[in-house]
Amino acid sequence: MDAIEAMGLHKKFGNVTAVDGVSFKVKEGEIFGFLGPNGAGKTTTIRMLTGLLKPDKGYATIMGYKIMEEPIKAKMLMGVVPEEANPYPDLSSWDNLMLVGRLYGLSKRDIKDKASRLLKLLGLYEIMERRAKNLSKGQRQKLLVAMALINDPKVLFLDEPTGGLDVLNARKIRELILELKKDGVTVFLTTHNVEEAGALCDRIAIIKDGRIVELGSPEELKIKVGAYTYVAITFNRAIEEDELSFLKSCEYKLQASRLLIVCARPVEAIVKAIEFAKAVGLEILDIRISSPTLEDVFVKVAKGE
Amino acid sequence: MKTEYAHLFKSIWAICWKDIKLYYAKGPIVVTGVLFPIFLWIAFYAGKGLELKEGLASLITLTLFFTASSVTPIIAPWETRQRTLEMILSRPITVKVMLIGDILASTIFGLIFVIPIIFVGVILNTMPGNIFLAIIIVLLTAVGLSSLGIMFSALPTDTPADAVLLSSSIKLPLIFVSGVLVPITQLPPWILPITLLSPITYPTDFLRILYLGNGFLPSYLDIAVTALFTLAFTILALKLHEKTILIRLQRR
Repeated sequence: MDAIEAMGLHKKFGNVTAVDGVSFKVKEGEIFGFLGPNGAGKTTTIRMLTGLLKPDKGYATIMGYKIMEEPIKAKMLMGVVPEEANPYPDLSSWDNLMLVGRLYGLSKRDIKDKASRLLKLLGLYEIMERRAKNLSKGQRQKLLVAMALINDPKVLFLDEPTGGLDVLNARKIRELILELKKDGVTVFLTTHNVEEAGALCDRIAIIKDGRIVELGSPEELKIKVGAYTYVAITFNRAIEEDELSFLKSCEYKLQASRLLIVCARPVEAIVKAIEFAKAVGLEILDIRISSPTLEDVFVKVAKGE
Repeated sequence: MKTEYAHLFKSIWAICWKDIKLYYAKGPIVVTGVLFPIFLWIAFYAGKGLELKEGLASLITLTLFFTASSVTPIIAPWETRQRTLEMILSRPITVKVMLIGDILASTIFGLIFVIPIIFVGVILNTMPGNIFLAIIIVLLTAVGLSSLGIMFSALPTDTPADAVLLSSSIKLPLIFVSGVLVPITQLPPWILPITLLSPITYPTDFLRILYLGNGFLPSYLDIAVTALFTLAFTILALKLHEKTILIRLQRR
């Protein structure tokens, strides 16, 4: 069974189409990244998947339950950290967890056990009586994650979970996401941190203008989009521009003895450079290859290239 | 099915607990709930040489009016501003359940202030004619006024003052035209059509019947119209919020 299924989701606000026929499936235990530029339709899609917004057309299911038809059953199986949401600022961390636990229908004993475990796991146990408004942004975000995990969800929606966090807190949340995957939890992640998505996600969908424009594993996307590899070659002396006619088909930059080639086929470029060096009696001091990053893929897609 | 109902009641109670902890168990709110109705009541009744039971019906209605509908208008705008609304609605509850929890908290808050007034009356040998009907009318009025407050908060704003302004501009004039402070028989005749449109005219009149033995309208009409107002306010509050909640979420 698919953990999440979105089928032809459409949403319009007035004359503006926010989401235009979004379809995808997320397998159980998968970490699925959902990327896109600002205003692309990410949050609207998440709101439709989590039952906060009713789609104009299409449907979404969570563990087989249609979210608009059986919202309680679907929501019982999921945890959500909405974008820029807050815990109740005048309630303590403990009371926030108690409240959410009750909404999931958990027994008092169950909530206490799970709340203690989560607060310890996220380093909030010592400050559990502190009101949420007196927590740092990182601590508040970790509390939101704890609140989303109180029901041991099968599907976890994280909308910008590391946005604005310091390196340590962001790393803590990333480690937790990977731990959850090991436990079989399906994670739906939206983030502006493209490299974070590349490191965590099994598959990534890129949404632009309300439509999914790319979908695949990070590696597949790099190949599919044809993101370029960078090859930096350092020679033992400076070379002239007119000597580089063999690089006609590539984009390159020359900085005295250092040649930076941007190309889709790095091996071919390196072979040509070696042949050129042999022919003119040059020595190659260093060759470095930089693989394309997911950010390169994202930029290409976002620019519509 | 049994589990679903158990979850429903647990959820309503959880929201009610949250509201009491966050909004009602606060010094200024409690003081307002006590001082406002008592001072207003004293201003109109003191020094007129009236019997206690003359004013008890009015004091009960006034107290309900200033407690049960006092906080509900600000909850939704406040939670929109605090960015907690989306967080809570992402949990396994519906907008309806959330609002019923809000109504329950507000009703409990109103009853906490009214019950001592009724007890003081009992101690001073001023009993309502029918204690069962008194409980019914107080309960209906508390629920109705709580729902009225929720209706005002359906305004899709994240500024609590907007909802309070709307609420006050409608609520305050009602006190003066509903026979709460001045009996309906002593009001100018041209006000009567407005009096009959006010939701607090009927519980006030019914409580006067229970305490004084006479009222302006028949008792069955008072209780029926109070029940109708309560039902209408509750349904309208739930429907209006379902319409505006998405606009509210989009504002954040």
